[in-house]
Amino acid sequence: MTRLFLAGRSIVTAALLCLLPAVIFAQNNGGPRMDHENTLPPTPVGATPIAPDGHPDLTGLWNGLADNLLGVPNQMHNVGIEVGKDTTRDIHSGVQIATWPLQNRQRQNNEQNERAATLLRRMGSNRPIYKPQYWQRVKDFDANSNEEDPSNNCMPAGVPRMGVPSYIAQTPTYLIFIYPGQGGLIATATSYRMIPTDGRKHTDLEELDGTWNGESIGHWEGDTMVIDSIGFNSTSWFDQLGGYFHSENMHVIERLRRDGNTLTWTATVEDPDVLLEPWTTTPRVALLNPDPKAILPEALPCSERDFAHVVTKEHH
Amino acid sequence: MLTRTGLTRLLVKSGLIIAALVGLSFLAAGGQSNNFKSSAGAKTASAEAADDTAKSNSPEVSKTLKTAAEAVGLARWSGVGGQRLPEVDVINTMEIWGAGTTYSPGPSSKPGEPWQAFKTEYHAALGYNPPAMRVEMTRTTSGASAPGGAAPQHTIETVRDTYAWDESEIGAGLIPGKGTATPAPAAVSNRLLQLWILPYGVIKAAVAAGDKTRISTENGATVISFPLSGLLAEVAVKATLDAQNEIAKVETRTDNPAHADLMTETEYSDYADHGEIATDVKSPGHIVRKQNGHPVLDLRVKMLDANNPYLVFPVPENVKKATTR
Repeated sequence: MTRLFLAGRSIVTAALLCLLPAVIFAQNNGGPRMDHENTLPPTPVGATPIAPDGHPDLTGLWNGLADNLLGVPNQMHNVGIEVGKDTTRDIHSGVQIATWPLQNRQRQNNEQNERAATLLRRMGSNRPIYKPQYWQRVKDFDANSNEEDPSNNCMPAGVPRMGVPSYIAQTPTYLIFIYPGQGGLIATATSYRMIPTDGRKHTDLEELDGTWNGESIGHWEGDTMVIDSIGFNSTSWFDQLGGYFHSENMHVIERLRRDGNTLTWTATVEDPDVLLEPWTTTPRVALLNPDPKAILPEALPCSERDFAHVVTKEHH
Repeated sequence: MLTRTGLTRLLVKSGLIIAALVGLSFLAAGGQSNNFKSSAGAKTASAEAADDTAKSNSPEVSKTLKTAAEAVGLARWSGVGGQRLPEVDVINTMEIWGAGTTYSPGPSSKPGEPWQAFKTEYHAALGYNPPAMRVEMTRTTSGASAPGGAAPQHTIETVRDTYAWDESEIGAGLIPGKGTATPAPAAVSNRLLQLWILPYGVIKAAVAAGDKTRISTENGATVISFPLSGLLAEVAVKATLDAQNEIAKVETRTDNPAHADLMTETEYSDYADHGEIATDVKSPGHIVRKQNGHPVLDLRVKMLDANNPYLVFPVPENVKKATTR
């Protein structure tokens, strides 16, 4: 059976080539590493810097694992599957998954590689539990995500789908988050968030116009920054994959905790309109970029022109 | 302005050599190591499964399981994102649609007589993490033993971990007023067995059985033997590979006469990628099963979605409360 996926090869090739500057950057500067041979979370190193107000200072460029660098997210870190050298674990359930070492793996061409990646991204057990009347809709959205995914066509990913910010600036009364656009692999727009931490309350939900990122307010619970967001549109999906739609009543609680040069992020999604129970992402651990001079490169302009050429439902 | 597509074209034209070098870096690793440490959804088993002449925990076991896993597209790796990861078992959830004939003991069934035949539309949703399966069948009477004229029977039989229940509709019992979930604790073992004797379940369980898994040769064919675990610990599995290293036949046996329903023989053939979305996961197109010597299933697969689709199996509260183990 031959299936034409005209855009697929060019996208894969472009993605691979987009990685090259990052690889060179990593080799020259001790910066983000791209040649992952596992997806184990980084081990914290060093002391956690403290801000003048006594709380941990989250300021930094959090792309040390190459997440979001040049618009290429390292999605294997984010799907809850911990792949080691010769063992693999589903983080949510703890189930061990059969693993065969790198040295002995079979060859795959680009097309096979992409299909395997699609399976790997979807194999995690940590799935939100929707009300039964929505199960088919979620499946349909995911199966048809090439057309249905709202983050395609240069739309924002939204909260919490954006995940860990690539850059955080912390002031006594605000957090600034920057998420570079993903023009190289998935056509999404650059986003930023300005999150007050001055103790203010949420605007009444009825008075908020639903937006992609909602209204976010942060506060400290011990050493953990807790960001509470309401006031979303119902257009975005709330996780990277899976067709996980939500209503305008979605309530998101993000938690960020810094340990040395690592930042652990989770988000809990509450949406009683469509979910049977709240759902929490598998923790994602970002690594601080070790280069003190590192900056976020300019994101590629986002202009989606590939989807007209996609002729199958295969994901990319 | 250089768009993504424009950039792609430019880079493809000017950078194929570089891309080839990048690709070569993914293939640089070599070696012939066959050892692996792994386990799947099943837990440690205790029953003995293999004959004494078979090899124990040898490199041949690892090699055979890896070959069988690759033959059906279960063992895969990804280089997307610049990663150089090992091969892992990428199958968790899948959905199967098929049609054929099922057989059940009729009200007048006698020993030695064929069971009642039903023309059957079959739809199964399943997952291995956690182990769960929902089988939806619409059955109409057919064949010589059919009394005829009966209304179609629609059943939804579900199992997850140690819970089994029947649903009046998909997801029944999870929201008040939305259908009925009827506990079926006596059916847990039989329904779980259907999950683990699928080709993917066999490979996962054989890996999980560790040094209890044996490899032998019968009539020139490779045979994998191992015990299941947990509630199915009394069940021994014997799987025979075909020339393409696909699982062609699975036999299960138990010494417990009270569990004759766990004595099965299933033949798989016509392997192909039956998905609407190509996954390179090969699945049997024809499944024929006997239970304790009686034909119970003859199914032609219409479509199989192996793309780890969104399938969930939350256990209704009334089922949890009714199940005491």
